[in-house]
Amino acid sequence: MQIVPTFLLIGVVVFVIARLLPGDPISAMLGDKATDEAVTRLQQQLGLDRPLWVQFWLFVLRVLHGDFGTSIAFHVPVLSLIAERLPATLLLTGMASLIAVTIAVPLAFVAATNANRWPDYLIRAVFQVGLSSPIFFVGLLLLIVFAAELRWFPVGGYGDTWPDRVYHLFLPALTLALSFAAVLMRNLRSAILDTLTAEFVDFARAKGLPRRIVLFRHVLGNALISTVTLVGLQVGVLLGGAVITETVFAVPGVGRLMVDSIFSRDYPLIEALTLVLAVLVSLVFLVTDLVLMWLDPRVAR
Amino acid sequence: MTDDVAGVKEAVGAPSQTAWRAVGFVRSIHRLPASLIAGGVITALLMLAALAPSLLAPYDPLTFDYMALLQPPSFKHPFGTDQFGRDMLSRTIWAATIDAQIAVLATLGPLLAGSAIGLLVGYYGGVFDIVFGRLVDLVVTFPFLVLVIAIEAVLGPGLVNMYIAVGVVGWVFYARLMRVEVRVLRDLDYVAAARVLGYGDLRILSRHILPNAARPVFVYWMTDMALAILLGSSLGYLGLGAQPPTAEWGVIISDAKNYISQAWWLTVFPGVAIVIAGIGFSLIGDGLAEFLDVKR
Repeated sequence: MQIVPTFLLIGVVVFVIARLLPGDPISAMLGDKATDEAVTRLQQQLGLDRPLWVQFWLFVLRVLHGDFGTSIAFHVPVLSLIAERLPATLLLTGMASLIAVTIAVPLAFVAATNANRWPDYLIRAVFQVGLSSPIFFVGLLLLIVFAAELRWFPVGGYGDTWPDRVYHLFLPALTLALSFAAVLMRNLRSAILDTLTAEFVDFARAKGLPRRIVLFRHVLGNALISTVTLVGLQVGVLLGGAVITETVFAVPGVGRLMVDSIFSRDYPLIEALTLVLAVLVSLVFLVTDLVLMWLDPRVAR
Repeated sequence: MTDDVAGVKEAVGAPSQTAWRAVGFVRSIHRLPASLIAGGVITALLMLAALAPSLLAPYDPLTFDYMALLQPPSFKHPFGTDQFGRDMLSRTIWAATIDAQIAVLATLGPLLAGSAIGLLVGYYGGVFDIVFGRLVDLVVTFPFLVLVIAIEAVLGPGLVNMYIAVGVVGWVFYARLMRVEVRVLRDLDYVAAARVLGYGDLRILSRHILPNAARPVFVYWMTDMALAILLGSSLGYLGLGAQPPTAEWGVIISDAKNYISQAWWLTVFPGVAIVIAGIGFSLIGDGLAEFLDVKR
């Protein structure tokens, strides 16, 4: 239930941002030559003549009813626009997390079990480079090699059928996954290192279990729990990365929509997108907590 | 011990004290972590390029050369030329001015404000702590980039607005680090002793707590400069950071968008510059953490 005050705070921040936006919505809607009468009427209609706290309450009510207003650039309700673009982002981030976990977990495992020997140094060096590479650059490199030169993948865009979409999103997802894997790997390695020196691991070894079994059953099992925590906690990083990846590969997702909406000064859209993305992250936090409770009885207590 | 040796050597007419100091300096460099030295060299080069680009750049970065459009890397133009015939090596070097500026300016505000707030919240606790905790939750919930973009939507795109947007969010991370350190320190005996001596809060905070709490924050600052370069160039690429015709690595890459399949060198060289600059600051961060014994 921690999530309720957080939601409320998110609402306050978005509301404040919306009020701070340059140029008031009235002149944006009516133009410069509007009569005073028309301005007052519209102000009353939008509730802009009421005190701020009433406006905030109206804003909360509107949001709870799913009414985010109409997009200035697209002339359609903001919510339906977001609903149309959200699947691409979810597919992209889903694929990216899957690829990232597949890359990061085995590598972190190898690095931690060989701590301070050459496999560890090599893996850490590679991921140090990964951590220092901006996502858009990684994306452009993959695009140059695999789309422009080798022509294995499309340069960008999105498909009509699901298999086609997965094919279109493979390079973007790989881009996002590489940078996400670097973040995961760095944290996972130290988590596994901690587990390796934990008492229950010593005990399992003392019991006479072979090293291989201890590593796979006890250490890897715990590492997977850390992975769930990390993926959940870093989902904000993932979504931020999606904004950039979608722009590089022209994926019609909410991230690209957000960047576009800034240039078209589409304030209702920016407002709603900020809110939706923040709520999305909170929901992922919630789901992560639930999954952790199910995976690890120690958390529930 | 070194003094003893120096004294003995001097007595027998060996190298002077200054020479021994020089040897001592070289030895102490040897004791520094390798990552700190490597990072220091990279960052020094970046700063040289940033402060005196005209010394390093072979050409003027803005001169158009219509006889040499989109030339691949050659002996004459090691990084090739762009669609206007501008030398890419020179453009990449000149862009270091902006990117180094981003590394410093985008982090300096958050460093100072965050440290001050963390110091106060950690020392006084109470209501401050509760409010701060909520704020941290909020900032952690919002995707960092999305929040920065949302703030830039209010302010409008541009380099200065980018500094403000990053600052509005970024201080929280410094404050969080500082708060943890201060909370441990304020309950230690030596701080209690200082209080018994009748020292004021300001004196205790600035003379007794800050110097001891600053190390992790300082280490994080280095890492944050690496992040600032990544963020700054990414926002430049999106059109939300430095604005063309300002040469900034992300902006240069964004300019080359339409030539990506014909002229890879327009993308690759500025991109590699970002990666190397980022690695430089990260290595300093790692090295300092090791050297100052800061656990991260």
